[in-house]
Amino acid sequence: MSNSQKSSGAPPALLFVAGLVLMVGGTYASLNLKIEAIEKLNEQGLPLDLGKTVAVIGVFLILFPAIKSFFLNPLTEAIETRNHQLEDTFSEAENLRAEMHKLRTDYEARLAETEAEARFQIQNQIKEAQNLRQQLMTEAAERADALVRQAQMEIEQEKTQAIATIRTHVVDLTLAAAEKVIGENMDTDKNRRLIAEFMDTVEVAS
Amino acid sequence: MANSGVARRYAQALFSTALSHDVVKSVEDDLNSIVGLLENDPEFREFVIAPYTGRDAKIAILEKLFSDRVTALTMQALRVMLEKRREDEIIGIRNEYVTLRREHEGAVFATITSAYEIDGKQSKELLAKLEKTIGKKIEAEFKLDTTLIGGIRVAYGNYVLDGSVRGTLSSLRDKLRHDLLKQQ
Repeated sequence: MSNSQKSSGAPPALLFVAGLVLMVGGTYASLNLKIEAIEKLNEQGLPLDLGKTVAVIGVFLILFPAIKSFFLNPLTEAIETRNHQLEDTFSEAENLRAEMHKLRTDYEARLAETEAEARFQIQNQIKEAQNLRQQLMTEAAERADALVRQAQMEIEQEKTQAIATIRTHVVDLTLAAAEKVIGENMDTDKNRRLIAEFMDTVEVAS
Repeated sequence: MANSGVARRYAQALFSTALSHDVVKSVEDDLNSIVGLLENDPEFREFVIAPYTGRDAKIAILEKLFSDRVTALTMQALRVMLEKRREDEIIGIRNEYVTLRREHEGAVFATITSAYEIDGKQSKELLAKLEKTIGKKIEAEFKLDTTLIGGIRVAYGNYVLDGSVRGTLSSLRDKLRHDLLKQQ
């Protein structure tokens, strides 16, 4: 755009010369030339000096290249530089945004993958824990059943043993009482009869 | 130290000699006398058994003691035992001799234990019955044991014929315990 303006405009030297001419000519005309139409406008309250106007245009033509050279061009260059910087910044920002988007996509993908892996592992751990729990419960139940069975068996054995002990004691007490009674009632005659009975019944195993 | 094999050999030799001379009973009585003295007189026993007493001294003393009280065969056997240093086998030789004599006579030794003393008549009847039942001559030793309560118990060889109240009660106890065990 700036190149087209430079190519379309007149060279500065030409403008300077043209401006000088217009300024000198306009000043001369304002001082020396009297134009009837303009005089009439002055009389009517519209002070118009055409020579000054031309001189001012000449001044503008002289000042324009200077303004352009010392103000517009640096400004344009600064704007363009700024635009370039902005474009670079935007481009960099866009690149960064794209990279960020890519990183975000990758991150999200990794996150999703990690989450899926974590879910999978959690599910596996949960299943394993459930299996372990079930196994432990089964073992505990079996152990408890075995303990109960053993306890019942021991109780039954002790009960049987206690009954047998009581019966044995009853037998011993009964026989001890019988022994005492027999002993108190035994005498020589009864002993003689017992020996006689022994002689009648004695046998030897062949 | 007593050795039953040695005692058996000495007893066999002595018994066969006594049998050939028909002095079995006399020799047995002699041996019983000597053993009774050994068992009841500690000083005599110490003199006979003591290893520090010379064998000639022992033979001389024992000949003085027994030469006119025992048969010549018994004295000769005693002399041989002392010469062979078999003093501690005398009791074993007597026991083996008695066993050989019983085997020869077909007799058995029985211990008859009773709670009360058995009179002579009943003891004879008892021995006759036992000899008839066992089929052998009985040499009995009678003992008293009040724990039997009543009745008698006859032990011979490896057998026991128990007719005592104690034995009957023990059998009853065993039977009742056996029945109780079967009920469980």
